[in-house]
Amino acid sequence: MPSLAEHLDRLAAATHWTYRASAQSCSEPAAWAALALVAHGRVDDGARPAKWLAELQQRDGSVGISESESEPRWSTSLAIWAWAALDAARRERRFVGNIERAVVWSLAHHGEAAPRSPQIGHNTELVGWSWAAETHSWLEPTAFFVLGLRTASHGDHPRVREGIRLIVDRLLPDGGANYGNTIVLGQPLLPHMQPTGIALMALAGEQLDDPRIEKSLDYLHRSVNSKMAPASLSFACLGVSAHRGRIAAANEWLLTVLDDATRGPLAEYELALLLLAAAPVERLHQITAGAAV
Amino acid sequence: MEDSHMRSDGGVTRRSMLLAGGAVAGIAGLVGIKRALRPHASVFTARGQRYDADLTKTIQDGLTACGLNPAELRGKRVLLKPNLVEPSKAIPHMTTHPAVIVAAADVFRGYGADVTVGEAPGHVRDTLMALDESGVGEALRDGGIRFADLNYEEVAWRPNLGRRSKLEGLYLPRSVVEADLVVSMPKLKTHHWVGVTASMKNLYGVLPGIKYGWPKNVLHHNGIPETVVDIAATLPRTMAIVDGIDCMEGDGPIMGSCKHMGLILVGSNLAAVDSTVARIMGIEPSRVCYLALAANRLGPVDEGLIEERGEAWRSVKSPFHLLDQEHLQRLRADRGGSLFS
Repeated sequence: MPSLAEHLDRLAAATHWTYRASAQSCSEPAAWAALALVAHGRVDDGARPAKWLAELQQRDGSVGISESESEPRWSTSLAIWAWAALDAARRERRFVGNIERAVVWSLAHHGEAAPRSPQIGHNTELVGWSWAAETHSWLEPTAFFVLGLRTASHGDHPRVREGIRLIVDRLLPDGGANYGNTIVLGQPLLPHMQPTGIALMALAGEQLDDPRIEKSLDYLHRSVNSKMAPASLSFACLGVSAHRGRIAAANEWLLTVLDDATRGPLAEYELALLLLAAAPVERLHQITAGAAV
Repeated sequence: MEDSHMRSDGGVTRRSMLLAGGAVAGIAGLVGIKRALRPHASVFTARGQRYDADLTKTIQDGLTACGLNPAELRGKRVLLKPNLVEPSKAIPHMTTHPAVIVAAADVFRGYGADVTVGEAPGHVRDTLMALDESGVGEALRDGGIRFADLNYEEVAWRPNLGRRSKLEGLYLPRSVVEADLVVSMPKLKTHHWVGVTASMKNLYGVLPGIKYGWPKNVLHHNGIPETVVDIAATLPRTMAIVDGIDCMEGDGPIMGSCKHMGLILVGSNLAAVDSTVARIMGIEPSRVCYLALAANRLGPVDEGLIEERGEAWRSVKSPFHLLDQEHLQRLRADRGGSLFS
C-alpha cells in the first residue's frame, strides 16, 4: 500500500493533469496539483503544473479549461490561486505578470444578474462569476474567483466582497449548498458535499455572522464518511479545515480512498484533491491566504 | 364597380364560392398529402413491470415492436444515457433505476453491440458521487459495463441541426459523437418548469458541463424548449427506453414524490415517446412547449400519427400531480379536479 509520500511522488512526476474522463491536460487538475504539492512543501514540484498553466494563458489574461478548449475561462480563477500560492511559498514574483493579467481579465468579467423573482429563492441581482460567458453567476465559480483573487491580495476589491455576499446568499436555510439554487417554487433544494466544501473554503477567514455557515459545517461533519467519492470527500475535508476544524478520521479516510482501486485508477484531478485535503491545516490556511508557506 | 368576387354588402359571389370551394378542396387535398407524409412512429408500452423482475424480455419486445432489427446493431456503438441529474440515496425515484440500465445493456450486448453508459449529470460536478448515490456505479461495475463521464470528455463541435435556438452549433462529448445509436433512458417525471421530462429533455445530459456549466446555463439562456429540440435534432440516431416503474410527480425533476406506475416505454422516435408519456401523465402534449416545437419536425405528437404497441396509453393513464402553478396547470389535458400538489 503506497504511503502518502509515494502518492505525492506520483503527483509530482505527472506531466499531464487530467480528469478521469479526459485524455488531455486540463487547467483545473493542473491548478489543484500545484496547490497540493505546495501544501505539502513540495514547492519545486508544484512549479511544473503552474508553469504549464502560464503557457496556457491567453493574451487577454484568461486561462481556458484545457489545452484544446480556450473557452469557457472559469479556470482562470484557479490558475491565479496556484500562481499566487506558489510565489508566496517561494517568496518570489515569478508569476506576478501572469497573475496581474489574469486578475484584470477576472475583474472585467462577471455573471449575468437578473431581476428578483418570487419563484427563485436566491438573490439573482448579486453579481459573481459564471461557468460560461453571458450566463448567470453560480456558487462554485464565484467561490473559485474569490479564493484566487483573495490569495492574490485582492480580497478587498468590491467584486470579491460582492462575491462573498453571493456565496452566503446561496447557502441553504438549513445549511449546506446546492449547485447554486437555494429555493425554487417554494421548495428548498438538496445540499451536496462538493459545493458546500468549496463555499466554506471561500468564506473562511471572513468576518461573517450568518448561522448558515455553522449549519453548513455541521452538515459536512454529519454527512462525510469513508466511502465517499474522492472529490466530494476532499472538498468536505477542505471546507472544514478552512474553518480550523478537522474531521476526526479525515486522514485515515483520505488515505483509504487514495489506495482504493474499486473505482479504477485515480486521475491527477482526484489525486491532487485528496492530497491537498490531507495537507497540514496550517499550510492550507497559508495557501488560502497567500502567505509564505 | 362591383368586384367580380365580392359583393358590396360583404357577401361572397357564386364565382367566389366556386373559386373558394376549389381552393378549399385543393387545401384539403394538400393537407391530406402533408398528413400522409408526416412521420409516423410506434411506441411500445408495457405495464406491470418491476425492478426485481427480468426486464430484458420487456425491452427486447419493445425494440422489436418498434421495428428495430437486432442484426443491424452488431458491432455498432450504442450509448445508453440514463438520467442521473442530481442523485440522492434518499430520492431513488429521481434517477433511472440501475436495473433498467443493466437490462438494456444486456439486450444491446446480446445483439452484438459495443455498449457504453454515459451521462453528464446536470447539477453535480462529482460524477463518481452521482454514480454512488444512484447505485448505478455499483451496478455497472458488477455488470462489467463501461461508463463514460460526458461532463469531462474531449468535445467536438457539431452544427446545430435543429435551428430552433440561436446556437450555431453544439459541443458534444467524444462518446456521443462516436456512437451509432444514442438511447435516451429517462425516468418518467414531472418538471417544474416545462411540465414533463422524458426522453428529449433527458438529452440535456449529453452536453458536457465543462463547456456548458453546472447547471447547463448556456442552454437555459438560449431557451429550454428550443435547445431541447436542437439537441435531439443534432445527435446521431436516437431511441428511447423509459423507466416508468417508480416515477416522480409534483415538484419534479428533483424534489417530487414517488408515484408507482410499473411501466416501461420503448420507441424509436423521441417526440412520439414523450407525447405518449405526457398523455399517460394527464398532460396534453401539444401544450408542452418543446413537444409543440418538435411536432412534425422531429416526429409525431398527434395521437393519430402514433401507433400504439403493447398497452394503449388510455389503459394505463394515471394523471400526475402538478405543482399549483399557472404555467403547469395549463398543461393538463383535463381541467378541473385537484391534480396539484
